[in-house]
Amino acid sequence: MIALILSIAPNFGNTFLIIMLIRIMYYGLMAIAFSFLAGQLGLFSLMVPVAFGVSGYTMAILETKNILIFPYSVLVGIILALIISAFLGVMVNRSKGTYFLMLTLVLGQLAYAIVLQWVSLTKGTTGITGVNRPYLLNIANLGKNVSFYYFILVVFIICIILLYVLINSSFGVKLRGVRESESRMIMLGYNTSLIKWVAFMVSSFVSSIGGIFFVYFIGLMNPDAISLNASVKVMIASIFGGINSIIGAIIGTGIIKTVEIVLSWITQRYLLIIGVMFLIVILLAPNGIMGIAERISKFGTRLFKKNSK
Amino acid sequence: MLLMTFINGLTMAALLFIMAVGLNLSFGLLRIVNLTHGSFYLLGGYIGLYVYKATESWIFGIAAAGIVVAIIAFIEEFTLLRRVRGKPTLETLITLSLAIIISDLLIVIWGGNPKTIKIPELLKGYVTLFDANVPIYNIFIFCFACFICLTLWLILQKTKIGMIIRAGVDNFEITSTLGINIQLVFTLVFTAAGFLAGIAGAIGGTYLMVAPGEDWRILTYALLVIIIGGMGSFGGTIVGSIIIGMIFSFGNVYVPQFSLFLMFAPVAITLVIRPKGLFGRITS
Repeated sequence: MIALILSIAPNFGNTFLIIMLIRIMYYGLMAIAFSFLAGQLGLFSLMVPVAFGVSGYTMAILETKNILIFPYSVLVGIILALIISAFLGVMVNRSKGTYFLMLTLVLGQLAYAIVLQWVSLTKGTTGITGVNRPYLLNIANLGKNVSFYYFILVVFIICIILLYVLINSSFGVKLRGVRESESRMIMLGYNTSLIKWVAFMVSSFVSSIGGIFFVYFIGLMNPDAISLNASVKVMIASIFGGINSIIGAIIGTGIIKTVEIVLSWITQRYLLIIGVMFLIVILLAPNGIMGIAERISKFGTRLFKKNSK
Repeated sequence: MLLMTFINGLTMAALLFIMAVGLNLSFGLLRIVNLTHGSFYLLGGYIGLYVYKATESWIFGIAAAGIVVAIIAFIEEFTLLRRVRGKPTLETLITLSLAIIISDLLIVIWGGNPKTIKIPELLKGYVTLFDANVPIYNIFIFCFACFICLTLWLILQKTKIGMIIRAGVDNFEITSTLGINIQLVFTLVFTAAGFLAGIAGAIGGTYLMVAPGEDWRILTYALLVIIIGGMGSFGGTIVGSIIIGMIFSFGNVYVPQFSLFLMFAPVAITLVIRPKGLFGRITS
């Protein structure tokens, strides 16, 4: 795990690679947000892009209309995303399992619809363009891809550490307790609604950070980022990598984004291939890449044990 | 104007009912939200279009749409869903993956341009009702939905299979211990839902359009209907369809910028007040 983290740090000066890594990171933030909820709570939320979109749009609107700029636009964006997620979190709190997935699908579509139809605010399908990257406290000009890369890398690693700390804390244990049996947790006296809600907020927080980076990097914001397509891709990326692991979600995102780029050179219909891959993964390897890795390592250990006898 | 909007609302409600009732029954019994349902609809639309063009018979188109989609639904249930029975998350994910695959496959086969199915000669034209010109086709959709509604109601209430389905929706475990081949019932309901979706697709394709994206749009509306109406409830589906159909129609006419938001608002309210939906019957 540590080795993986170390290998991300050096970059080779290849512009394409840097751009790909940046993309993997801001989409990855959504994927790890999803994985956090899915792995710890067992809830598959198709609403993760909503926080992404709210923070992204808010920031884009504030910046292009010159109302607020960095860092205040970022703060307002994240806070607004958190407020809306708080509200949504209350609404879906009582549901679980399949019903939850269905609800988040519907609510995600609601957000998409509002963004699409509120043309006066969000410019509909055209999206908002012309967002410039900020000077970061005179330390670095984020205009250059390299400095942007290091900046997002730092924030990304902080988010991963944050999630790892939460997962390995008593809060994480409580979350997994709710996943195993919510009724038992209630009987033990835990406020499961609050626990779940806090988990939503954490997930939305991470996702909203992704939205900020997305807008700053690309310079625009459009409804596609929170379409059903986007939600489903986040879920697929997470499940590919293995929902029980944060690193898995990152790997999964890496694979999906790479596949997207490579396949779109060949055909427009890469979604079909991703769909088939997804089906194969959930049938044969429900724990994703990390699951396969675990199986291989267990197999390897058994092999070594046999040999040493 | 008001009357016309009302009638459009009823027409939409009728179409949504045919879609949602299959979705609701299969959820009630199988506890799966069949996300492929939307793709079934669109598939039905394309097949209806294709068969209509090939045979010049609209009725044949609809029938073909229903049958082909039913076959696909059967295959989906038989090969994939049976393997993961008992793990609802996995089942839903499978239906989702199939929805993505079918939806993209449709673009591969038929291209991305929106198409419509032409209304057959018999159903063209208007009828004047008070001061509104009501297309005969709208009346047809409404009557057809009523027919389906009545037929399903009769099957559910008056036949043995209907009884088994209702029992299964209410309490699946006990029903399966009664020695009934519940697997067969599952397959039957799932396939029937597919059949209805296919027909809805062909009919809807004539009323609305056949285009990529319609599958997710209609699926979302159908989900709204069953969330409001109540999971597993037949009567709830009727009420839900009418509510959503009306909001859709009135919203589009009077406040088009917020029409979608208006459709989701009652869902939000229902979730907070009655999470099971107005007439929800699911015990788990």
